[in-house]
Amino acid sequence: MTPELRALRRHAWLQLPILICALLLLLATGYPLLLLFAQSLFPDILGGSLEGFLDPYRRIVETEALGQMIRNSLLWAGAVTVVSWIMGIPCGYLLARTNLPGKLWARLSLLVPIMTPPYIAALSYILVMQHGGFADTLLGGLPDGLRAWFFSFWGVTLVMALSSFGYVALAVEAALSAIPRRLEDAAQMLGARWYQLGALVLVPLLLPAIFNSGLLVFLEAISNFGVPAVMGTRANLPLLPAEIFYLVTSWPIDLPLATSLSSLLCLFALATLYVSRWLAAKAGGGTLKASESALHPLGPLGKCLGWGLFLGLFLLSAALPYAAMIITSLADAWGEGLPALTLGHYQAILAPGSRGLEALTTSLGLSIAAATICVIIGGYIAYVNVRSTGPLQKLLDGLAMLPRVIPKIVVAVGLILAWNAPWIHLDVYNTLWMLLLAYVVIYITDALNYSNTSLTRMSPSMEHAAAMLGAGRARVFFSIVLPQLKPALLAAWVTTFIVCMRELVASILLLPPGADTTATFIFNQFEQGDITMAMAMATVTIVLTTVVLILFRVGRQEA
Amino acid sequence: MTASLQCTAITKQFQSQVVLKEISLELPAGECLVLLGPSGCGKTTLLNIITGMHQADGGQLRCDDEILDDRSQGIHQSMQRRGFGMVFQDFSLWPHMTVAGNVEFGLKIQGVGSRERRARVMQALEQVQMTEFADRRPTTLSGGQAQRVAIARALAVRPRVLLMDEPLSALDARLREELKSEIGTLLKETGTTAVYVTHDQSEAFTLADRVALMYQGRIEQLDTPEALYARPSTRFAASFIGASNVIPYRQEGDRVTLRDRHDMPLPTHAIPPKGHLVVRREHVVIEPVGEGTRHLNGHVVLEGVCRRRSFLGDRHEILAGLDGGLEIRGFSQHPLRPGDPVAIRFPGHGLHVVAD
Repeated sequence: MTPELRALRRHAWLQLPILICALLLLLATGYPLLLLFAQSLFPDILGGSLEGFLDPYRRIVETEALGQMIRNSLLWAGAVTVVSWIMGIPCGYLLARTNLPGKLWARLSLLVPIMTPPYIAALSYILVMQHGGFADTLLGGLPDGLRAWFFSFWGVTLVMALSSFGYVALAVEAALSAIPRRLEDAAQMLGARWYQLGALVLVPLLLPAIFNSGLLVFLEAISNFGVPAVMGTRANLPLLPAEIFYLVTSWPIDLPLATSLSSLLCLFALATLYVSRWLAAKAGGGTLKASESALHPLGPLGKCLGWGLFLGLFLLSAALPYAAMIITSLADAWGEGLPALTLGHYQAILAPGSRGLEALTTSLGLSIAAATICVIIGGYIAYVNVRSTGPLQKLLDGLAMLPRVIPKIVVAVGLILAWNAPWIHLDVYNTLWMLLLAYVVIYITDALNYSNTSLTRMSPSMEHAAAMLGAGRARVFFSIVLPQLKPALLAAWVTTFIVCMRELVASILLLPPGADTTATFIFNQFEQGDITMAMAMATVTIVLTTVVLILFRVGRQEA
Repeated sequence: MTASLQCTAITKQFQSQVVLKEISLELPAGECLVLLGPSGCGKTTLLNIITGMHQADGGQLRCDDEILDDRSQGIHQSMQRRGFGMVFQDFSLWPHMTVAGNVEFGLKIQGVGSRERRARVMQALEQVQMTEFADRRPTTLSGGQAQRVAIARALAVRPRVLLMDEPLSALDARLREELKSEIGTLLKETGTTAVYVTHDQSEAFTLADRVALMYQGRIEQLDTPEALYARPSTRFAASFIGASNVIPYRQEGDRVTLRDRHDMPLPTHAIPPKGHLVVRREHVVIEPVGEGTRHLNGHVVLEGVCRRRSFLGDRHEILAGLDGGLEIRGFSQHPLRPGDPVAIRFPGHGLHVVAD
């Protein structure tokens, strides 16, 4: 063997892990998205023809209703972001910079809506606000104006904002706590008053956090399927993800239009990401070291107002929907006033051989499998990514970022195309394996994120030390890296498990006929069947996942 | 403009721990006072009381004729109104403003017109040689550059007193040297009254008109750098300043001895019966015994053994062991080896003693 060849082989051997990871991601994410994009440009590409270039886009431009729908989607996501800011920023300030008593409870009250799937909150709100709903029963008739307002643009906005303002509050709290006291001292020494301090120092320093949390909320809103699907039809507000869903699932099926709308949705998501990054960079910042910060003492009135805000938001975002959900799940017969209570619906969905139990076991199995696969593959990819450099690493980084930004429904549509294409001879489509694949592709980001954070904090010298003592690559990974990564991977496993247990959009698009997951069971029962069964299942799912989360937290505290 | 500062019997305690015990000092306008001491000595607390971040429990703080802090009279001027400038250890530049924006901030607050503002920003940046960085963001600056900007920010408002809290300790050694002398020049040129906190005595000696050496919440000695070096008044001052040999002595009859063995030519009537002898390291010459030890007039010569040697470039530092477990540090031109018998010589006149 010539030295050159040996050098080449050695190079290939060193590059092998990153090559494998890149190929894996390319196949799992890159290929479906590429195909989706290609099909949106060439509607007949799967039939082997390049005719009709840009046809679907032409139709979007020419159809007034579609243009209106797209504008509405963007406006709606924007409105959700603004409302979330209005609700979240004061909460963040109260938590970070005042002596509000009982901050722990305030923080917990923010976590409840974050942990509640938006579609379940939306379903519960419908139960409260619809004709003959809880509001009618308890208040003896809701004003028609209020009902009309709720089932319109702003009502849908409110429901979505209630489930996402917590992100803003926590981000603002974190950012405010990270602004070193010295920066304020320096301004005060130069004579700045509180309003000058706020306007010239604090708000500008906070802008990146406000933009970043806004980005998160906007992305979540524009790509959210559940709320538009549940409330959009009732509020006569067609929104992008729900429309894509109907184009893929309802007669007449229009894949070219669905893929082009999906591509647009992707474009919006990416544009939002870049614009908000640009804004955040322009707003300045730079990383600040966390430090103690000055607390603004509140008077009795301030404390009351602060707690009033948290209580009001908790009532709207958690207490009300949860009460509606639980009471409905326990309702026996609806008559005048509140219904008699029964556990019958729980028995029905948990009875051996029932559809409910089947859905639950399917979800459990899928979620456990998906979480495990995500953690194994995600942890390894993150490791390879963090410890490599060069163009392949850039590609890998970009690919791994994709599912974080690309709306889930787009990934799901892409997967349908990719595994239904004429050149695929594996029988994956229309089986549960398809769903498992979708879960892994969509939710691997959590595992990647958690591992990334943990790995970048880990010094490579620890690995070098082991390597110098003669440990091979695998040995280094398994006995040095993995043990340190374990807490991050465990957290990622729990998170992935929980989101998969509640996952709606990929499940509803990719489920094989006759099968159900918890989310599709809830959705279908609510729309076509028994509302009480839907709410019983929602309660079971939320209780189950919350218990897993609490067990994990408790376990971690003890460790 | 630049003003004088006066502390009278300032005390401060946190919970039950007394951090400052009756601190009194006077700082005439245009002087630089360095608060020097080990960590935990109270120097930062004193500075925080001067800035107005903390209020003193007792005593009075005055700037010119204005009372800034006096609990007994219920006066505590807020730090916004003191008109002081401050340079922080971690720079604390606002990351969302440009360099010029940072310097301009205080002038804006003071309501200085935009034309004069621009001129004064440029002047302040010129003083620290940072004009070409005016439009840069603080995050793109090195530590030394960032601290220059922070100094310009504090000076631009022409503070009554400039306060500096270990401004050089986040910088590397070379930069520290450079910026130290620049700060010294700047303070003299602008005639700014300054209080400078540090634990580094070379900074204190370079910058101070007077040094307040602090220890355990007290001012141990308040003196010019030269006096502090030549005539430390307490055992702590003697051991903290310079690298001195601080050796316990005893008077017995008309003899003054170290460990009852080595006689010292000290006037018994002029010194306390028990205390410590301070011998500066650079006054001690150590030679091999065989070299024909010269008994110079008025010099003390002791015999010992070389314990350790470290090469300093131009000479060797020797740690010599004496009878009775004494150890003395000094310098030698000879590459002595551990175990070599040596002669230890230092001038007997001007030996300095401190009481216990």
